[in-house]
Amino acid sequence: MRKLYDRLLVWLEYALVVIFALMVVDVLWQVFSRYVIGQSSSFTEEFARFALIWLTLLGAAYLNGRRAHLTMDFLTRKLSPEDLKKRKKAIAWFMFFFALIVMVIGGGNLVYTTLRLGQVSPAIGVPLGIVYAVVPISGLLVCFFTGMQTQGHGSTQTGLSHNPSA
Amino acid sequence: MSIELISILVLFVSFFALLAYGVPVAYSIGVSTLGTMLLNIVALPAVTTVAQRMTTGIDSFALLAIPFFVLAGELMNRAGIAGRLIDFAKSLVGSLPGGLAYVNVVAAMLFGAISGSAVAAASAIGSVMTDRMEEEGYPRAFSASVNITASTTGLLIPPSNVLIVYALASGGAASVAALFIAGYVPGFLVGLALILVAAFIARKRDFPPGERVAISKLVKDFGRAALSLLMLVIIVGGIVAGVFTATEAAAVAIAYAAGLGFAYGTIKVKDLPSVLLESAKTTAVVMFLIATSMAMSWLFSFESIPQLMTTFLLETVSHPIAIFLLINLTLLVVGTFMDMTPAVLIFTPIFLPVVTSLGMDPVHFGIIMVLNLCIGLCTPPVGTILFVGAGVAKISVADVIKPLLPFVVAMVVVLLLITFLPQLSLWLPGVFGL
Repeated sequence: MRKLYDRLLVWLEYALVVIFALMVVDVLWQVFSRYVIGQSSSFTEEFARFALIWLTLLGAAYLNGRRAHLTMDFLTRKLSPEDLKKRKKAIAWFMFFFALIVMVIGGGNLVYTTLRLGQVSPAIGVPLGIVYAVVPISGLLVCFFTGMQTQGHGSTQTGLSHNPSA
Repeated sequence: MSIELISILVLFVSFFALLAYGVPVAYSIGVSTLGTMLLNIVALPAVTTVAQRMTTGIDSFALLAIPFFVLAGELMNRAGIAGRLIDFAKSLVGSLPGGLAYVNVVAAMLFGAISGSAVAAASAIGSVMTDRMEEEGYPRAFSASVNITASTTGLLIPPSNVLIVYALASGGAASVAALFIAGYVPGFLVGLALILVAAFIARKRDFPPGERVAISKLVKDFGRAALSLLMLVIIVGGIVAGVFTATEAAAVAIAYAAGLGFAYGTIKVKDLPSVLLESAKTTAVVMFLIATSMAMSWLFSFESIPQLMTTFLLETVSHPIAIFLLINLTLLVVGTFMDMTPAVLIFTPIFLPVVTSLGMDPVHFGIIMVLNLCIGLCTPPVGTILFVGAGVAKISVADVIKPLLPFVVAMVVVLLLITFLPQLSLWLPGVFGL
């Protein structure tokens, strides 16, 4: 399990790098094709939007694996190491249940509904259910990572206490 | 008590409790939203709605500008532009009394604008300037104070990701292009106010003027910084001229920054995966926050929280000036313990309807909000830039607080000016017809 935890993180790193690179190339191609070739397609825009959804949700699962979500830790910093360990396990439970209920069950239902209604994206023609499938997939990953953390496993890296957007 | 009031209470109390307990901000938002929705709606539709709002909420081409500006900033940072910008700032303003303090302000403004990151500005500029300033007799705590406050100006001067987040949170009431242009005057005003405070202190404490530089050196240093500065011209110029959208501009900025890094020899192709991964992490932090916030803001409108807030404030406070002051005060308090992105995402949908009903322009309010929360970045207990700035200056946070105070007061003064003089924010976008 411990090995799987680390291996999943590496796979996720590859996935994030590839998705991000595709996103950049896709939008650069969109600009290039509009100004140089003189034609624009809604294909590139749709692809970039879907890639962002995947990047966000897989990235969120990855952050759970690395315990790198933005956290206000100024109150928990003062806890004793023993209490902090307990606290971190309790926090992992909160995230486990959120991922299970919203991302796996709610997201699964979202995928099921959109697939059953046969909703297809207008430009690429991909079923929207497949695009949304990243929600339950990421949910399962978050459940795995946080579940391991409730058992005391997982990366020891602490939460990111600064705002990366600043 | 009505079900709405109970819901609002549950939502806010559980959110702040989870936050204080140490649950990551995005999950605090998600869990409190989920809990409140389960009070109101049947279980399966409720959880599906949260999942759906999270997904469709981030399904936006405009939001792609966020990861792209993050990546472009990271590339510019690795391209090693900090030294060039500092040299340019030095030959520009370094010869005045207290000159190195102005150099720090100008360099932090330029770096902050180009990298779009106040954290990067504080660490890149601060790590060079603090030592240089100490050599010429400036106390480290003073240099750190200048650096910390000046680094936040990059969040107002475009391109700025937090302004994109605000544009989203405003529900399209404010356009990214208008917000970008509106940020210039307030951003420069903050820089000017910081320079004035530094000048006053420099005169009192007799800090040395730097050496006067020849015009030829100024021209040479400008030349070395020109390619970094050109990126700002391409991005903002392109957006304002309508050549491309903010997202496309950001993608072009990535290509430009990578090209610059290759040309300077500071970035190699094999560095790219690690740059992409770092940027992907930052992106995921911000975007997942946006995702859960979109579910929360759906709940806000479901519970008519913005309308309730508007009615409440108009009835109890009634005077516009008092309401603007109250909102600013609330945001200042929020900013001390909450980071900028979640604060913008949560409080924009609540306060924006209040201020627009009093006739305030959504663009104007965005600038007020961002400047206000910039102040919170410099104050404990959660002051990202304060911690980074003190860290790179190798001094304790406690030692910076006192010298920091006059600079923070200057920011508050500018905030009040910006709040009550809408033209400071709205004049420039008006000139460009935005």
